[in-house]
Amino acid sequence: MAPNSHNNLHQLTAHLFRDNAGKMTAVLCRLFGLNQMEQVEDIVQDTFEAALSKWRFSGIPDNPSGWLMQVAKNKALNALKRERRIQSCSVLEHVQLPDTSFENQFNILLSSEEIKDCQLRLLFSCCHPCLSLKNQITLTLHTLCGFGIPEIANALFTREETVRKALARSKKILRESTNTSYEVADTKLHKPSKAVLTILYLMFNEGYKTTRGKKAVNNDLCFEAIRLAKLLDGDVETEALLSLMFFNLSRFPARISAPHEYLTLDEQDRSQWDRVFIEEGYYYLKKATRYKTITRFHIEAIIASLHCSASTFEETDWKKIAYLYRLLEAIEPSSPLVKLNRIIAESYIPTTRSIEELDELETHPSLKDGFLIQAAKGDVYRRRGYNHEALKAYKRAFDRAISPFDRRFLEKRISTIKCTLYSPQGK
Amino acid sequence: MKEFLLLIRENLDAYGKMTPEEMQQDIEKHMEWVEKLTANGNFKAGNPLDSTGKYIRDSVVTDGPYIEAKEVVSGFYFLLARSLEEAIEIAQGCPTLSAGGMVEVREIIEAE
Repeated sequence: MAPNSHNNLHQLTAHLFRDNAGKMTAVLCRLFGLNQMEQVEDIVQDTFEAALSKWRFSGIPDNPSGWLMQVAKNKALNALKRERRIQSCSVLEHVQLPDTSFENQFNILLSSEEIKDCQLRLLFSCCHPCLSLKNQITLTLHTLCGFGIPEIANALFTREETVRKALARSKKILRESTNTSYEVADTKLHKPSKAVLTILYLMFNEGYKTTRGKKAVNNDLCFEAIRLAKLLDGDVETEALLSLMFFNLSRFPARISAPHEYLTLDEQDRSQWDRVFIEEGYYYLKKATRYKTITRFHIEAIIASLHCSASTFEETDWKKIAYLYRLLEAIEPSSPLVKLNRIIAESYIPTTRSIEELDELETHPSLKDGFLIQAAKGDVYRRRGYNHEALKAYKRAFDRAISPFDRRFLEKRISTIKCTLYSPQGK
Repeated sequence: MKEFLLLIRENLDAYGKMTPEEMQQDIEKHMEWVEKLTANGNFKAGNPLDSTGKYIRDSVVTDGPYIEAKEVVSGFYFLLARSLEEAIEIAQGCPTLSAGGMVEVREIIEAE
């Protein structure tokens, strides 16, 4: 090895391996079929191990992604030769070729357009209707994002054993329904299904929620969701989702103060919001609104943009935001979370009967055991000057909160109110 | 400057437990290490070795005396250092060590 071959570290972009794990898995799954997922995973793992032992010494090749794909191809060919199972590999139905040998099929899939197409097909397959949303996310992270089992467990706050079992079950379901799952996936003709956008939305939210303090690890989840959403671009609903994701991402740097502590919108230092991500948010919002189509993601993106465009919390245009939440509620009438958000937005407009509405919503089956509605009540009471009621609500919220970040946040609120109540000037 | 051979011994099964992200980080650490050695003039050469090989004794060729051993020599470096002590100090920075591997340092004797 020449010593100067080591000056090309910069060619290893962040998460290059994860990115390529997804690409290789997608291409190989397309060629071998979803029922050969185990073999595909072995080939991908062997390819990375080859890179690991070689690149450590010889440095990064000029085109690392190309190198990996080439090695994966050779390993796939060897695997086929070894098992003499060439007849089992599916012929690409959308490309008519005189020579349908495996190597030719593989080479056809190596253009960036075809790789993207393979990734989309795999993404659609991971959103198989027989899998729960959580299992869809788990499988997507594993196959398309190159997340290992400990990384998924960490990102989704669950145990490794749970992830391992979920993956085994999900792959079995895909294996058994392999004929139907690829039929839906003519990616050039179909709009992304609702399920695909929903899991990207949830994947992002999962990362957003759990990034309260754990920093990099779960940030990754947000970036993976964005990366996958970009594969689907061209469709206005996806663009609206991307816009929403970028606006939310822009506030990351200001959300955390100390370990285990997050800051609410009114406490954040807005100068720390990431301008580049805000610009990205506007870029996708503009693209998303070029037709008359309005989806829930459009409305949520516009709401997020209103927060981002207010230079102080006091300047927030609550009237517009409340109006948009009412629109959202009309689209999603059965979602208690949308309703809750609408009530909170309206509570910044003095004349609204927010407390009565929160009392009514409190008994909703999906809200009554959680801390969220009690925390919201505490907040509205506090802002309207009912400190005793606020304290009671915050205490109820504290008893129900599980995450250390939520508990820390509520603890802070409780002690602030106690200070106001029991100091000489307090009421 | 004297010349030293660093033999890297690793359990290759450990590779199978690494995630793509961990492997990328491992490569980055190795490259940073070699970059530093190169900048300090300690680096001469290095290469990986295939994990399988043949052993020859008398006229018999076998897969090796330690078929059961999971630990293999995965690669080598030639380093330049003033003394064995300095070579050891450099070798202690090898990222393989923190991943559970072993490094053997041997001075190369100039044959005149």
